[in-house]
Amino acid sequence: MTARNIERALFAAFAAFMLSVPWTIPALLSGFWVNLVAEILIWSLFAASVNLLFGYVGLLSFGQALYFGFGMYGVGIGIDQLGLTFWPAFGLGIVAAMAMALVSGVLAVRLTWHYFAIITVVFSLIFYFLAVSMKWLTGGDDGINFSMPPTFTFGKSIWSFTDQTFQYFFILATVALCFYLMHRVVRSPLGKAFLAIRDNDVRASLIGLNVYLLRLVAFVMAGFLAGVAGALFAFFGRYASATYMFYQVSGEAVVWAIVGGAGMLFGPIIGTSVFILIRELVSTHWEHHALIVGFVAILVVRLAPKGLAGLWADWLENREKPPAEAITVNTLRTEP
Amino acid sequence: MSAPILETRSLTKRFGGLTAVDNLSLTLPSGRLHAIIGPNGAGKTTLFNLVSGLLTPSAGRVLFRGKDITGLKPHEISRLGIKRTLQIKSVFNQLSVADNLWITWAASNRVLHPFRAAADDRDARQRVERTLEQTGLTALARRPAGTLSYGDVALLEIGMALISDPQLLLLDEPTCGMSPAETDRAVQKIRDMAKNIDIIIIEHDMPVVFEIADDITVMAQGAVLASGNAEEIAADERVREAYLGRPEDEDYVEEAAHA
Repeated sequence: MTARNIERALFAAFAAFMLSVPWTIPALLSGFWVNLVAEILIWSLFAASVNLLFGYVGLLSFGQALYFGFGMYGVGIGIDQLGLTFWPAFGLGIVAAMAMALVSGVLAVRLTWHYFAIITVVFSLIFYFLAVSMKWLTGGDDGINFSMPPTFTFGKSIWSFTDQTFQYFFILATVALCFYLMHRVVRSPLGKAFLAIRDNDVRASLIGLNVYLLRLVAFVMAGFLAGVAGALFAFFGRYASATYMFYQVSGEAVVWAIVGGAGMLFGPIIGTSVFILIRELVSTHWEHHALIVGFVAILVVRLAPKGLAGLWADWLENREKPPAEAITVNTLRTEP
Repeated sequence: MSAPILETRSLTKRFGGLTAVDNLSLTLPSGRLHAIIGPNGAGKTTLFNLVSGLLTPSAGRVLFRGKDITGLKPHEISRLGIKRTLQIKSVFNQLSVADNLWITWAASNRVLHPFRAAADDRDARQRVERTLEQTGLTALARRPAGTLSYGDVALLEIGMALISDPQLLLLDEPTCGMSPAETDRAVQKIRDMAKNIDIIIIEHDMPVVFEIADDITVMAQGAVLASGNAEEIAADERVREAYLGRPEDEDYVEEAAHA
């Protein structure tokens, strides 16, 4: 089989599995695990926002939780305080996240590397503390609990997140749509411009790319992905809380994206799945499960700098080449 | 007479106490291949950085075809048609050779579409293929640029210059680090390009300079020491002292003077 066919077959199997989750998983395990898969999907989308910035534009953001949080609060405040229905609240969450990304991005993308990372952390800390202290709006430490409005109403039939299967498919469809959009973007002229900037920003400016503007566009797009993830998570948990705006949440997404494979579309899904499964399987038996997370992260970064998805891609590429050439390609690929 | 392709008026760049480019006024007419030479630290690359917008001058103006471009951003200057290469070979290492050309073309010719597949752009693909042929890189089209040999990277740089349809091309030591055979190839390409494009070249390789340049400007300590054609420069006493007087370059000077 050619590499392309293997990838296609794998993708088809993955898609079939995702579509069958509401029936296969309860039969094998329990209903709880359906929700866990839904949660993994949401967090994968969140990690994808880190991946878009770091893997495709070369900006390492430690503040994506801010936009996740705005997505959450947009939904929570929209439903609880403004009395919005499902879709307007969803829209409010996404718009709030993108607007925040635009405002902070205008300042942040002037900088790169550690300066950029630091300013993204600073922004998310500022708004974390604001969210905790503005009790009248955000509910402070308690957060906002809201009752779930229906998603679709056709005459008498109502579709809502209270139905676990509907909830799962809604999350799956939304996350899949976002990944599809990202797939389109990274293959587009805009996506190639992103890669050029990641590789060599000085050269990119000399061939006529507006590096600042393109970085800002990417930052707002990443804000969109994080915002959608946050809004979905609010619907999923029926609440919004500042806890998810803390920079530790951003940091986790960075680890998921890098271990999964930055610069690969499916990297964040792999990384997120691995770490959330570790957490679920180990945390009930051992409280120090974070140690395993750290150990796995260090191991992957040391042994597979391109992440788990990168290992896979290299293997797929090398199996079609004679061994000698395969070795050269391998060593060259690990160069910074 | 039409407006000169490039003009600098009292251009100055200071880094703290160091004046890298000192009150430099140059007028470079269109249609000639211009070389800038000078010892290390003469301010040649700083001059290129000022013209291409990577640096902002401390004082003075830069004019491109009579239009003031001082203080514009690098991408704005690039879109006016001034393209440049960097002294240290600089391409997009993780992109394929074809993608390097593709993005260079798209950056100056197209609105960057966010969703359409880049591979679907037919005009761009044909232009990339033609440039690959022109530079002899067709066989390497799918290789990541970071895995190319030094000479091939230099060819790719030239391809990127070609595909961007420059009006003025600034080449910073294009043959630096090349083998003699690669240098010959590069010189040939530069000569071909010079038929249609105004080129300013910084070069340390004296035979190359004397071979291809119509006009030569010698810089020293941020200012113009001398300018003229190859013979005049080779005969100039001050230039000999400042730059060409080193024994290992003597032969070239003799050669050029009698060419």
